[in-house]
Amino acid sequence: MQRLKINGEQVAVEVRGAESLAAVLRERVGLTGTKIACERGECGACTVLVDGRATMSCIEPAALVTGEVETIEGLAEEIRDLREEFADRGAFQCGFCTPGQLVRATALLRAEAARSGLDPEVVRHQMSGNICRCTGYQAIVAAVVEVAERRAGGAA
Amino acid sequence: MSYVGTSQRPHDWAARTDGSTLFAADLRLPALHAAVLRSPHPYADIVALDTSRAERMPGVVAVITAADFAPDAVYIHRGAPLSDRPPLARGTVRHVGQEVAAVAAETYVQAVAALAAIRVGYRPRTAPLTLAEATAPGARRLHERTTAEPNVSVLFQTEWGDVATGRARASAAVEGRFVYPSVSHACMETNTTLARWNQADSTVELWTSTQAPWFIGKEVSQLLGLEHDQVIFREIATGGGFGSKSKASEHEVLAAALSRKANRPVLLSLTREEELGANKPRHRFETWLRTSVDKDGLVRLYESDIRVDNGSYNHMGPSVMRVGAITLGSMYRPDGALVEARLIDTATQPGGQFRGYGTPQVSLAAESQLDELADRLGLDPLEMRLRNVNREYATTLCGYDVTTARLADCLDAVRTELDWDRRRADPRPDRGVGVAAGSHGSGAYAYDLANRSDAAIDVFDDGRVRVRYGGSDAGTGQSTILAQIAADELGVDLADVEVLSMDSERTPFELGAWSSRGTHMTGSSVGKAASEVAERLRDLARAKLGTQDVVLRDGQAVGADDAVALGDLVRLSDDAVDGMLSHETIYLLEGTEPLAPGKSTANLSPTYAYAAHGAYVEVDRRTGAVELLDYVAAHDVGRAINPTAVEGQIAGGAVMGIGAALGEELVREGGRIVNTSYLHYAMPRSADVPSVRPVIVNAHDPAGPYGAKSVGEMSIIPPGAALANAVHDAVGVRIRELPLTPDKVITALAEKEGRRRRHRIWRRPDRWWIALLRWLYPLGLHHLLHRWGTKLGHGVGSGVGDPESVTSISAPDDLPVILKAAAEGAQVIGGGSDALVERRREASPSTVLISTRSVMTLRGVTWPDDGSLRIGAALTLTELAEATRERIPAIADAVDSIASAQIRNVATVAGNLLQEKRCWFFRSGFPCYKRNGVTSPCYAVMGDHRFQHAVIDGHRCQAVTPSDLATVFTALDARVELSTSNGHRTVPIGEFFTGPGETALRPDEVVVEIVIPAAACKRRSAFRKLNLYTGDFATASAVISAEIDASGTWRDARIALGAIAPVPWRAVEAEEWLRGRTAPTAAQLRKVLDRELDREAHPLPGNGWKLDAVAGLAEHVLESVTS
Repeated sequence: MQRLKINGEQVAVEVRGAESLAAVLRERVGLTGTKIACERGECGACTVLVDGRATMSCIEPAALVTGEVETIEGLAEEIRDLREEFADRGAFQCGFCTPGQLVRATALLRAEAARSGLDPEVVRHQMSGNICRCTGYQAIVAAVVEVAERRAGGAA
Repeated sequence: MSYVGTSQRPHDWAARTDGSTLFAADLRLPALHAAVLRSPHPYADIVALDTSRAERMPGVVAVITAADFAPDAVYIHRGAPLSDRPPLARGTVRHVGQEVAAVAAETYVQAVAALAAIRVGYRPRTAPLTLAEATAPGARRLHERTTAEPNVSVLFQTEWGDVATGRARASAAVEGRFVYPSVSHACMETNTTLARWNQADSTVELWTSTQAPWFIGKEVSQLLGLEHDQVIFREIATGGGFGSKSKASEHEVLAAALSRKANRPVLLSLTREEELGANKPRHRFETWLRTSVDKDGLVRLYESDIRVDNGSYNHMGPSVMRVGAITLGSMYRPDGALVEARLIDTATQPGGQFRGYGTPQVSLAAESQLDELADRLGLDPLEMRLRNVNREYATTLCGYDVTTARLADCLDAVRTELDWDRRRADPRPDRGVGVAAGSHGSGAYAYDLANRSDAAIDVFDDGRVRVRYGGSDAGTGQSTILAQIAADELGVDLADVEVLSMDSERTPFELGAWSSRGTHMTGSSVGKAASEVAERLRDLARAKLGTQDVVLRDGQAVGADDAVALGDLVRLSDDAVDGMLSHETIYLLEGTEPLAPGKSTANLSPTYAYAAHGAYVEVDRRTGAVELLDYVAAHDVGRAINPTAVEGQIAGGAVMGIGAALGEELVREGGRIVNTSYLHYAMPRSADVPSVRPVIVNAHDPAGPYGAKSVGEMSIIPPGAALANAVHDAVGVRIRELPLTPDKVITALAEKEGRRRRHRIWRRPDRWWIALLRWLYPLGLHHLLHRWGTKLGHGVGSGVGDPESVTSISAPDDLPVILKAAAEGAQVIGGGSDALVERRREASPSTVLISTRSVMTLRGVTWPDDGSLRIGAALTLTELAEATRERIPAIADAVDSIASAQIRNVATVAGNLLQEKRCWFFRSGFPCYKRNGVTSPCYAVMGDHRFQHAVIDGHRCQAVTPSDLATVFTALDARVELSTSNGHRTVPIGEFFTGPGETALRPDEVVVEIVIPAAACKRRSAFRKLNLYTGDFATASAVISAEIDASGTWRDARIALGAIAPVPWRAVEAEEWLRGRTAPTAAQLRKVLDRELDREAHPLPGNGWKLDAVAGLAEHVLESVTS
C-alpha cells in the first residue's frame, strides 16, 4: 500500500507496478473527474496538480508521487468563479476535457504572475497542452483571462 | 422572463465543471474489460481462426468472432446491396484495423494478452489502397457492386437546371482538381460502451457515447437477433460526436455481444490509437470542378467529376457523396450543374459521417474557383460572392425551397469585422485575406421517420418541470435550449427545468442529433409538447380562478386578480399520476421530402443556414508556415435560441475546419494509419488559433422553431477555401490540396520562383550505397523486407502498457544508488514522460525502472565564477527555462516550444536529450529497421516523410534526433558529464549523439550534468523552429550562437540545425564564412548556407523542401541574433 495525499486527505491505496496516477485516482480512489483521453501525456484531459504543478496524471507513475495531489473534485470550490465563467462564456461543450482545462488553469491563476492579471497570449501558450475539440478555445482563454483580471482587481 | 433568444448556462454546468458528470467509462459497475483483435493486413483471406488458447488465458471470460453472429449479419445500410459490413470479419479482412475478434476479461491487460493468443491464419493479397489503384485496370474488386465499373460502389450522375443555357451565358471558366483529405473527428472521449446483458428478460442495457441512441438500438438489435426494444439505452454523457457517433460503429454491438456471451457487464473503450487508426474518418474527396461565369461574375455552370474514397465498406459513403454533390445544386444561382460522382472502394478503413457531410470537400473546390475567377475578372472576391448570393424564398437547382437566406449580411459582416478592405489593400507583403461562403440544411429528410420527433413534458406537483426526449446532447447545448423552450412555454424558472435524454424506456421516439436536425426537430417537438401542457394548465387554472384570462409566469398561472402555483394545478388535474402531470406529443414536419431512387431533386430540409468566413493570414516565405492572424465567421442562423451556445458551435466548427485546412490529415502507409496519436495528428492547439470571432447575423426564420435555423455543421464548411484563398492573396500560390502545410507552400513558391536544388549524388561515392537502396525500395525491396524480412525481427510491443510488467520503480534521492542500479541493468529514467510511453512498443522492456527525479544534487542549475553554466541532469524543463531566460534566452525559447507546460513540469534535461528518435513509423509501432531489426524496411523511404525525416546523412533509418535542447546545446558547445558507479567521463556534445535518438551513453552510465562553457554563455544566441502545431516536435529548427563585437563584426559563430539529420547538424562552412564578417545579412547567409546544404544533403523524394525551410529558419535566427 502506498500513502498518497489527495485533495487534503491521506489515502492508502494499492499501486501496481508502473500504474499511472490517473488509473489509481479513477479506479482505486473513485475520482473519475480526472479523464483519460490519450494515455500518452499528449492531450491534458488527465491534468491534476502535484504539489501545485500541473501534471499529466496518465503517464505519471503513481509509485513515484510523493507530493500532494489535487484533482478537479478537490479544486471545484476554490475555482467556483472560473467554473461559472466557463459556463457563462461557453468554454465547454461536451465537458470531457473540461476538468483538465480547469485544473491547468487553476495552476496558472494561483501563480505569482497572475496577481496582476494574465495576458491572453500567455494563457493560450500555457494551455496549449490541453486539447479541446468542441469549443475552438476562444471562450476558454477568455474565461481564464477574465477570472484572473477579476481576482487581481479584487486583491487590489 | 423569456429565455429563448438569451444566453443561458448549460443546464448541467455545475456537474460538467466539478468532475461529477459521468461518461460511460466512469461508471463503477463491476464490468469485464474488452479488447478487439484487428486485422494487420489491408486485404487478406482468413484461412484459420482459433480462439481456444485465448479462451484459456487468465481472466478471460468470453471471446467472440463472426461465428457468434448470424451468418448473414451485416450493419444496416439501406439494405442490399449497399449493406456490406459484418460486425466481425467473415472470411476476409478488407482494411487494416478491421475487427476480427473481441475478448472480455477481468482486466484490460488480460484481454489484450488474450488477443495475442488468438491464432488467425491470413492469406494476404494485394488490394487497392488509393483511388487510382482502385480504378486501375485489373484492380482487385473488394465487393460485388452493381455498377459496371470496378470498385465503384455507387455512381451518381445528374444534370440540374439548364446546362445548355449556362454554357451559352458563360464567358470565363476555370477548372482544377481539389483534394480534401481524410481527417479524424478526434472526439476527446474515445468511443466507449458499457453493456449489461440481463439474462432474465433477454435485454441488454447500453451506456454508450452516442448522438443517436435510436439508430444504435436498431443496429445492435438486428445484429444480435433481438427486437429493437430489447436494447435499452441509459442516459450517459457523450464526449463529443461531430457526426461520428450518429451511426453504430463496432464498439456498441461488440460490447453487447460480449456481455451476452459472458453474462456479465462489459466495458469496451477504444484507445486513442484505435480511435485514430481504425475508426471511421471523413471521406477523402478528389473533386474535379469546372466553374463557368459570365462577364459580371455570375456563376452560370458547374461541371464536376467527384471521386470519393469510400474505404472498404459503405458506412454512409453513398449519402455523404450525394450531399457533397448537392453543394453544386444549392449554393448561389447557377443556370445548371452537371454532376458525376463515384464512390470508390479502397482497402482502407471505411469513411464515416463527419460534421459537414461531404459539403466541406466540394465547397473547397467551388469556393476556391470563385476566387480564381474573381481574380481573372478583376473583381473583389467578396463582391463576387455578393453578386451571387442565394435569393430568399427561391428554389435551388437541387430542389431546396429556401426560406430566409441572409448570406449577403454574412458577407457584409466579414467585410466589416475582418476590416476586409483595409487588410486586402495592406501593402505588407505576405499577408492576405480570404473569404468563403457556404450553406447547410437544418436536418435532412434522410430516413423513414426523419420528419418526425416526439417529446414529453412532465410537470411535478412541486412546480418542477422535466423535458424528456430520446436524442442525445453530445455537447451541442441541445438539452439546454430545450429547457429554455420549455421554461418559456410554461412560464417557469429555467432552474426548475430538468432534462432527461437518451433513456429508451423513459423517453419517446427521437432519431437523434445528426444532419443539424436537433434544434429544428426537438425544438419543435418539445415546444409543441410544452405548449400543449401549458394549455392544459391554463384550462385547469381557468376553472380554478374562474377567469378566461390566464397567463403562465413565474411558476404560476396568473389570472386578473389571483394566481395559482403550477404544482397546485398538477394536484388538481385528473390526469396526474403520483404527483406528476405528463404529456407526450408527436411533431411531424411538413413540406420536406426524402430523396428517392431515380429522383435527384428534393427539398430535404425545412430551412437552410448560410455563412461567410473570412481569414487573415501571414505566410512565412522562408519556412512555408501559414499563421492565422484573425478569423471571422459570420452566420445566418435565423434566431439564436441561445447565442452563447450558437457562438460556441460557430467557433468550434470553424476551428475544426481550420485544423483540416492547416494541418490535420490521416496519413497511411500500406493501408495502415501512421499518425495514431495526438502527437502526430496536427490538430490546432489553443495558441494556434489566437483569434476566431463568431458573428451571429441575427434574424428570424418563420419556418424554424422560435425562428431558429441550424448551425452545428455549417461552421465547418467554409474554412478550407477561406484559408486557401487567403494564402493565395498573401503569396500568390493556389494550393488545391489540403492541408496547407509548409511543404506545399514552400514547394509551390519554389516552383513559382523557379528555384531548384541539385545534390549531385553521382559525385558523392559515400552516398551511392544509400542511393542504391532507395532506388531498389520501390522495385521490390520494400515489399520483400516488409512481407518477409519483418518475420525475422525481434518483435514490437503491442502499444498497450502492462503496469505490472514493471517489478520495481523507484526514485531514490541518492545518486550512488541509481548508479549501482544502472550497473545492474536497471533502466534509468528522468520524468518518464517519454520513456514510459515508448516502452509500450518495445518487445522486451526493462522490468526495473529507476528515476533521477529525486536526486537533489542533479536538480541544480549554477553559474560558477568561471562564467560557465552547469545544468543538473534531472532539472525539469520548466526549471531550466526559468533559470536561463535572462542570460541565454535561446535555451528558454527552445524549452518553451517543447510539448506542453505539464510535460515541461516533469520532463528532465537528460530525459529530453535521451528521448527516443523522431519518426512516426517507429513511434507508432511499425516493425521497422530500428524497431524490429536489420531485415526490416525503413517505412519512411516509401512512406510519408515530408516532416519528420532526415534530409542529410539519412542511412538505413531516416529518423532524426528530436531533442530541441540537443540542437541548442550543440550550438553552445556543451559538454555532457557522465557517471558510473566507479568513474566519470566528459563527452563533447558533438560526440554525444551518435544516431537518431541514439547516444554514446553506455548502459551503466548516467548523465549527471550538462556544462555550457563560459565562451558560449557570453555569445548571443537565438533559436527558432518550424512545427505543425504548438508543442509539436521540430520539423526543422535552427540555432545561431555568435560572438559579435561592438563594431558588428562576428568573432565566432555556431550554426546548429535540428531535425534535418540523424543528429544535430553543424553548418561548418557557413560558420566559417560568418567568422570575421561585419554585419552579415540574412540574404548573404542564405546564399552560403544553400550552397553547403546542396552539397551535403541527400533528401528523400518528399522532404527536400525542408532544406528551404531550415535555411529560412537560419535567416530568421540571424536577424534575431543581430537585432
